[in-house]
Amino acid sequence: MADTIIEFQNVTFRYEGDEGIVLSPAVKDFSLKIGGGEFVAVLGHNGSGKSTLAKLANGLLLPESGDVLVDGMNTKNEDDDIKIKQTVGVVFQNPDNQIVATIVEEDVAFGPENLGIEQSEIRRRVDGALKIVGMYNYRRHEPHKLSGGQKQRVAIAGIIAMEPRCIILDEPTAMLDPVGRKDVMNAIKRLNREMGITVVYITHYMEEACEAQRIIVMDDAKLLMDGTPEEIFSDPEKIREIGLDVPQTCRLAEMLKNSGIKITGNVLGIDELVENIDSLLRGQQNVTSCN
Amino acid sequence: MSHLVTEHLSYVYGEGTPFKVTALDNVNINIEKSELVAIIGHTGSGKSTLVQHMNGLLKPTGGKIFLDGEDIHLSKAKTYETRFKVGLCFQYPEYQLFESTVYKDIAFGPTNMGLSKGEIDERVRNAAKYVGISDEMLQKSPFDLSGGEKRRVAIAGVISMGPEILILDEPTSGLDPRGREQILSLIKNYRDETGKTVIIVSHSMDDVARLADKVIVMNDAKVESCGTVDEVYENSSRLTEIGLSVPQVTEIFVRLKKLGYPVNENVYTAQQGYSELMRLFKGRGIL
Amino acid sequence: MIKDITIGQYFPFDSFVHRLDPRTKLLFTVVYIVAAFVSNNFVSLLFCFIIACVVVAISKIPLKTVIKGLRPILLIVIITSLLQIAYIKTGVPLISFWKINITSGGLLSALFMALRISLLIIMSTMLTYTTSPTSLTNGLERIFAPFKKIGIDFHTITMIMTIALRFIPTLIEETDKIMSAQKSRGANFENGNIVKRAKALVPIFIPLLFNSIRRAYELANAMTCRCYNGGKGKTTMNPLKMSGRDYFAVILTLAVIGGIIVLNIFCGEYNAEFTFNAAV
Repeated sequence: MADTIIEFQNVTFRYEGDEGIVLSPAVKDFSLKIGGGEFVAVLGHNGSGKSTLAKLANGLLLPESGDVLVDGMNTKNEDDDIKIKQTVGVVFQNPDNQIVATIVEEDVAFGPENLGIEQSEIRRRVDGALKIVGMYNYRRHEPHKLSGGQKQRVAIAGIIAMEPRCIILDEPTAMLDPVGRKDVMNAIKRLNREMGITVVYITHYMEEACEAQRIIVMDDAKLLMDGTPEEIFSDPEKIREIGLDVPQTCRLAEMLKNSGIKITGNVLGIDELVENIDSLLRGQQNVTSCN
Repeated sequence: MSHLVTEHLSYVYGEGTPFKVTALDNVNINIEKSELVAIIGHTGSGKSTLVQHMNGLLKPTGGKIFLDGEDIHLSKAKTYETRFKVGLCFQYPEYQLFESTVYKDIAFGPTNMGLSKGEIDERVRNAAKYVGISDEMLQKSPFDLSGGEKRRVAIAGVISMGPEILILDEPTSGLDPRGREQILSLIKNYRDETGKTVIIVSHSMDDVARLADKVIVMNDAKVESCGTVDEVYENSSRLTEIGLSVPQVTEIFVRLKKLGYPVNENVYTAQQGYSELMRLFKGRGIL
Repeated sequence: MIKDITIGQYFPFDSFVHRLDPRTKLLFTVVYIVAAFVSNNFVSLLFCFIIACVVVAISKIPLKTVIKGLRPILLIVIITSLLQIAYIKTGVPLISFWKINITSGGLLSALFMALRISLLIIMSTMLTYTTSPTSLTNGLERIFAPFKKIGIDFHTITMIMTIALRFIPTLIEETDKIMSAQKSRGANFENGNIVKRAKALVPIFIPLLFNSIRRAYELANAMTCRCYNGGKGKTTMNPLKMSGRDYFAVILTLAVIGGIIVLNIFCGEYNAEFTFNAAV
C-alpha cells in the first residue's frame, strides 16, 4: 500500500456532444489516490461516470482539466503512452469485443507481441496468464466457441500477459451468468492476492463489491463515498437514494441488531453471518469475524 | 384454464452429425391464463430454446405445443398468427432497434399485423404508457436514448402487438439495480392491469422470487422442477448445484441447515430470513 | 439456417499437413492450382487427383467433410458440365434428339472440367481446413513483407483479415439473433417480390450495422489498451520457421510441377476421339 499507482488530481472530463452541444461533465473535479496492491470496487448507477474513470486512468481519454498520474507518469505526456497502458490494463464489459485473434493463446500473446517482447518470454507469460485465470486447458480453442465467462477470463489473461501493476475491470460480469460471474470473480481475487496486482473493479453488483477492501461510490460525476465495505453499507438509506442497493446480508444483520441480537463485527459476507449465528446458537460469547 | 401447453416437446439440432445437440428433451409444461411464470436455468439449459418454441419461431423435432387448445403448427397461417399472440422479447432487445423514431419502431409489429393507422397509433401510445416512454421521447431516434430507455422501447415494441402471452428473455441482464427494479415493476404492473399471461426467463432467482406465481426450473434440456416459488425453494441447495444464483439469504439458510440447524431452506428475502431466525432464536431461549 | 455457413473453417487436428509452415502450404496450393489448370490430358489430371487423395489422407480430415466442402460449388460444376456437353461437338455422336446432340467429346470434356474444378476447390479448402486463420495471415504477412519497401504495408492488411476472420462467426450469430427477433415481431423474409424482400432486410441490416460500429469502437479501445500501435516493433510468439518437413514438402511441390510438365508433353493434349476410342 506504500506507493501510489493511480492518482486523479482535480480531474474534469466531458464528452463531445453532437453539433457543438456542450454536455455536462462525465467526471467533475475528481480526486483520488489508489495505492499499490489495493482491491478497490467502484459503485455507481449507469451514467454516474464510473466507466469514464476507467478510460481516464490509462490515458484512453485525457482530462479536460486536472491531471491523471500513473506511477508518476502524466497521461497527457504522449511519450509515456505505451508505458502507461502497460502499467494499467483495462478489461471491458463485452468480452466478444476485446478478443482479437482466432485462437485463445494467440489472443493472449497480442499484448506482449505489441510490446516487442522476446519469443520465449511471451510463451512463458501467456502460459502463466492462462493458468492463473484457469483457461490453460483451452489455449488452443477458438474464442467464439467459449462461454461468456471463459471469454472474459481470456480477456483478463490478455491484460495480465503484459504484466501490468494495475488492472481495471469495467463491469466485467454484467453480461455473464452466475457461474461465469463466480469464475471471473475468483480469477480476479487470485490476481490480487497471489500476484499482488492492484485491482480496480467497477460493478453494480453489491455482493461483488463486498469482496474489495475499499469501495468508492460515484454519483453524478462526483466522488460520493470512499471507505471500507463496512463503512459504505452502514448507511443503507444513502445507498438506496442514489439508485444502488445494500446486500441482503447487511439488511438481515441490521434487522437482527435492531431486535437486540448480538451480532459482532461488521457483517457483509455470508460466511461471517453464518458464523455469527452459529456461535450465538452454541452460546459462545465472542466471535472473531474472519477478514 | 390452460393457456399454453407443451406435450413431449423435444428439439434436437444437428441430427446425424457429430455436433448433435439435444436442446429440449421431453418437456411437458402447462401455463395457466394470467399467470406470471418464471423459467429459470443456467446458460445452455434450454430455457431460451423453449421460449422460441412458444411463439412458433422454432419447430419442435418432437412433440406439440398448444395455444388455447390448438396446435400452433396446424398450418403455416396458424404459426404466423402465433407470433402475434405470443409476443417474444429477446435478450438485449435494444440491439434490435432499427427505425428512425421510437414511435416507428414500436409500430413495427402492429404494422406487420396489417392494422389500420388509427389502431396502430392507439397501440403504440398504449404500449409506450406501460413502459413509461413519454410522448416527447416517441419522436426521438432510438439510438439517442440511454441503455435502460432503449430496453423499455424494445419491450414496448412487443407489447404493442397486443399479445395474449408476453415472454421476456432475461429482461434485466446488464442493467444496474435501479434499471432492474424499473423493468421488474413494469412487468408486474402490466400483468396486473391487463391480466395477460407473462413469462420471464432468467438465471437469477433474486429477480423472479418476488414476482412469479410459478417457477419452472430447466436443467440440461429437461424440466428439473416446477411449482410455486416456495415449492421450488424447498430444495435450494439443488438450485445452486445446477448453476443458478440464489439470493444471499437463501444461501445462509442452506449453510445453517448443513450445520444441522432445523431451518427451512425456502427463505429468499431479508424479511423472511429475519422471521425464520427469530423463530429459531426464541426456540433456543436466546432473547 | 445461416449458422450453417462455414467460411474458412479450420479443423485443429495434428497431422503432417497441419504442422507444415503456412508459407509451404500456400506455395503448394498455388502450384497445385496452376498444375490443375495446365493439365491438358486425363493422365495429368489423374496425377493431380492422386496427389489430392494423398494430401487428404495424411491430413486426417474426414473424407465426408472434404466432399461436403464441394457442395456450394455443385451448381457451378453442373452448369459448366452442361455447357461443355452442349457446345463441344467433337468425337462420336452418342445421343441425338430434337435439337440436342451429345457427343463423346462433349461428355468427356464435361467430365474433365468437373474433375478439374472439384480438385481446385478441394485443395483450396484443404488449405483452410488444415491452417488456422492466424497462421495463414502470418504466412501471408511474411510472404508480402518485402512490399513494405515500396510503401505497401501488408501488416495492416493482415490485421484486418485476422479481425474479419475472428468476427465472422460472431456476426453470423448476431444476424441469426436479429432475424429471429424481427420475425417475432411479424417480419416476413420469405414471401413477396424482390423489392418487398429487399425492404424486409432493412430491420436486419440497420441494427447489424449499428452494432458493428459499436463493436469496432470497443475493439479499437481494447487494442489500444493492449499497446497496439500499428505493428511497429511487434514480435511474435510463434515465429514461422521452415523445418525439415517443409523442405520435404517443397521438394514434393517441385515434383508436382515436374510431373505435370512431363505428363503434359508425354501424353499430349488430350484428344476426345482418341481417348474415347482407346476407352472402347
